[in-house]
Amino acid sequence: MIAGVSYTQCYWDDVEPGEALPRVDDEITYRRVIMNPATTWDYFPGHHDPEYARSQGQPTIYVNTMHVLGFVDRFATDWAGPRSFIAKRKVALQRSIFAGDTMVGEGRVLDKRTDAAGDGGRVRHLVDLEITVKNQHGDLCCPAAVTLELPSRSRKVAG
Amino acid sequence: MGIEETGYEIPVGTYEDAEAMVGTTTPVRFGEVDVNVPMIRHFAAMAHDANAGYWDDEFAEEQWGGVIAPPGMLMTWLIPIEWKPSGGRPVPLLTAQVPLPGDTLVNASNEAEFYRPIRAGDHLNVVEELTEVSEAKRTVLGVGHFVTTVSTYRRQDGEVVARTTNVLFRFTSEEDDA
Repeated sequence: MIAGVSYTQCYWDDVEPGEALPRVDDEITYRRVIMNPATTWDYFPGHHDPEYARSQGQPTIYVNTMHVLGFVDRFATDWAGPRSFIAKRKVALQRSIFAGDTMVGEGRVLDKRTDAAGDGGRVRHLVDLEITVKNQHGDLCCPAAVTLELPSRSRKVAG
Repeated sequence: MGIEETGYEIPVGTYEDAEAMVGTTTPVRFGEVDVNVPMIRHFAAMAHDANAGYWDDEFAEEQWGGVIAPPGMLMTWLIPIEWKPSGGRPVPLLTAQVPLPGDTLVNASNEAEFYRPIRAGDHLNVVEELTEVSEAKRTVLGVGHFVTTVSTYRRQDGEVVARTTNVLFRFTSEEDDA
């Protein structure tokens, strides 16, 4: 076990539709936005050049798509645990998150179900999540829908 | 917007030019680097993501057969290196190659389905298809067109690991009118 690393696992059998996921607040400093191009190799100037962002009508540099996706994934798997697999994720980028903002993740379980869409009809244990990413003013920035494959008490998710 | 700012030209054209491109499929393009642990951990550090699949080699080996990449990194594995000794400009994503009136762009939505965990050591490739260009629409940012592309990501053995549908808003910024 490595200190600080997340191992806690949620099992499909124990999930209750309607249950709320723990809220996550993440302060997005200028430095974190600059980490976008550094880590994702996305050098679009809206993510590192405030003057360019202003020419687009934005107040300053903003988080890139992959950072939003990374936050949504993290929000889902922080709750579900590291033995879960993101099977599907849809994110609408309605409003940008700027350097200096806080990303606020909230969500709940919409449904739990099984399907046989996996390898050779392998049954998957799925949960559907409704997630919102807001800023510190409560403005909805990125509504998201995530379907996770979870381990059940009797079977792990295939690697 | 100049080439110095974006690294590539954003081609200007009409809606009809863009419509004529719908159905275009790119050749297979290969990632320039393999999926790798240093980039995975740097991204997880950016996202403040403590998932054991990214940080703990032993756990990841037992659960997934190796350290896995955060799904949000998918596009990164196919982004061309910024500069090469051989010169030349990196080829932009198909979505940025579509001729339209707008002088700038911002991403509007992204939908992804993942079929296989993406592991360190995988070498990914992608095929992109332009599936739709909307008529001109007004948003808070200005007037522009929504450009939809579908990308299919495969690994070295041909297995499809993910498919994404991305919608990008190509618009004319209105700052100067203010």
